[in-house]
Amino acid sequence: MSLAAMRRSSRRSSGWRKLASAAVWLVIAFNLAVFIWLFVNSLRSHAEIFDDPWGLPRVLHTENWLNAWITSGFGAAIGNSVLVCVTAAVGIVVISAPAGYILAKTNRRLSEVALMYIAVGVGVPTQVIVIPLFTVVQTLGLLNSLFGLIVVYIALNLPFTVFLLAGFFRSMPDELEEAAALDGAGMVRLFAQIVAPMARSGMTTALILNLVWLWAEVFLALILIQSTDKQTLPLALLNFMAQQQYGGNDYGQLLAGIGIILLPVLAAYIWLGRRIIEGMTVGAGK
Amino acid sequence: MTAPTIGALTRAGPAGSARRRGGGGGATSPLQRRRAMMFWPFLLPALVLYTVFMVGPTVASFWISLHSWDGINEMSWRGLTNFQLLLADPVFRTALVNTLVILFGVGAAVFALSFALTMMLRDMAGRRFARAVIFFPSIVSPLVLAIFWGFLFQHGGLLDSFLADLGVADRPNFLGDHLWLVICVGMVWMSTGLYVTIIMAGVDQIPPYLYEECELAGASAWQRFRYVTFPLTWDVIATTTVLWTVSSLKIFDFILAFGGTTNDLPPSGTWNTALFIYGSTFGGRVPLYRFGYASAAAVVTLVTVIILVILLRRLSRREAVQL
Repeated sequence: MSLAAMRRSSRRSSGWRKLASAAVWLVIAFNLAVFIWLFVNSLRSHAEIFDDPWGLPRVLHTENWLNAWITSGFGAAIGNSVLVCVTAAVGIVVISAPAGYILAKTNRRLSEVALMYIAVGVGVPTQVIVIPLFTVVQTLGLLNSLFGLIVVYIALNLPFTVFLLAGFFRSMPDELEEAAALDGAGMVRLFAQIVAPMARSGMTTALILNLVWLWAEVFLALILIQSTDKQTLPLALLNFMAQQQYGGNDYGQLLAGIGIILLPVLAAYIWLGRRIIEGMTVGAGK
Repeated sequence: MTAPTIGALTRAGPAGSARRRGGGGGATSPLQRRRAMMFWPFLLPALVLYTVFMVGPTVASFWISLHSWDGINEMSWRGLTNFQLLLADPVFRTALVNTLVILFGVGAAVFALSFALTMMLRDMAGRRFARAVIFFPSIVSPLVLAIFWGFLFQHGGLLDSFLADLGVADRPNFLGDHLWLVICVGMVWMSTGLYVTIIMAGVDQIPPYLYEECELAGASAWQRFRYVTFPLTWDVIATTTVLWTVSSLKIFDFILAFGGTTNDLPPSGTWNTALFIYGSTFGGRVPLYRFGYASAAAVVTLVTVIILVILLRRLSRREAVQL
């Protein structure tokens, strides 16, 4: 290829590149605009929003946020959600870590089979098991109880976490454990004092991912929780939407309600963003 | 729930066991003995919970699907009648078609868009920030995204009033006449961030000198994609298609939110099988509790996943390019 042709093609490609990166920035601008719009309009009245959805607030209707907080029952729901999500996420990791460890570090044929047995659970959609699951939970007397929801959350998220952590433990060296075992330490002590601290970053990733998912979980909560005093945040949002529809729409308040839900997620994302992103790609990307 | 490990899963078997460490000196080392002794105590809690709440119900779904049952009275045997009724039920047929439209149509759009974005992000200034912004919708509750999405397209909403300002008199009734399309586009928006991030992680593994050589040879953007990026990220692509297959079938709340409340379901023309199952059991103002019938739908869904995942793995089995 002649030099001139090469220059021509590189000029052409740089033109394309400008267009392409403009397109990327358009997507980014859209995403940013969505969330800015949500927050800006949470400070406007319903009439203002529908008068001109593109406008800015004339007066700051901060009372939207207060009203949303009061009518939605988000306060209690946040309490429930924090309790359920934190307990379940910790439970998942506490139960998955030993299982993942022992499956990754023993050479039996059985460990391989057991790992596959657990891992296929990742592919089972919730709607496939929800009917028998409802019956099981009912039989155990755990319907409409936060404890029941926690147990179900733990059980259903084990496959992913066991699998994630097994991969993590597999790449850990044995030397420290060998030495401690020679000194006579038992397995439980080995695990608590040597293995767990070494695997801290993998376990933290698992914890964060489970928290992110559970925070937004709707389907199971919708079916297993029936009374409003036990509702989690996504259920409270659904009920809040219902109230808005019957008690006359107030989009300002609805958006303020969304703001209340979004803020903690946004804060967590700013704080732990890279960790969340890398955690979600770790299994698939490597 | 999303499940990035599904892909690692597809490659787990033999590679995993080969990588396992011997632990020095066979099964007689103190460490190995301790591990062997604690095998069941460490494994059992996870195994029992998983079996009781996940495997048991999965198996039970098959059994229930052969019965007529409302969850309270005795089950009565129905054989394959549920399946016959299901296949003749226009609502279920629509739901199944919609599920496949999400899987293939929305999926194709998500992948095309993710690849395009990844290629452009590859050597862009501010790519970390860009990635963070594009990813953010993946961790926001789909309910929240759906509420915004509804307002974007609603009469008097953002798009409608924008078109009105432009002087378009004959504006389409997006939510009334094109709700399913609106929902599909919304799912593309909602899902793209995660796949951009995963594919980007794969693309980052490609040594930059390959692209430099392409540049020198005067390769076009398409050629760079076709001969470098695509073959070298094949593994990641195979993985993400399985991930999409599994997670697209689980989409539920984004569609549910278009019904507006806890009690109201969206129009049945927008249901996928997840909504169909919810709609024929617990959902709606007057729940139907058709457990047997809905279980048959669950079985059809599960069988669909299994077949598709096996097919995908067959299709994607190809020698990985070694560098």
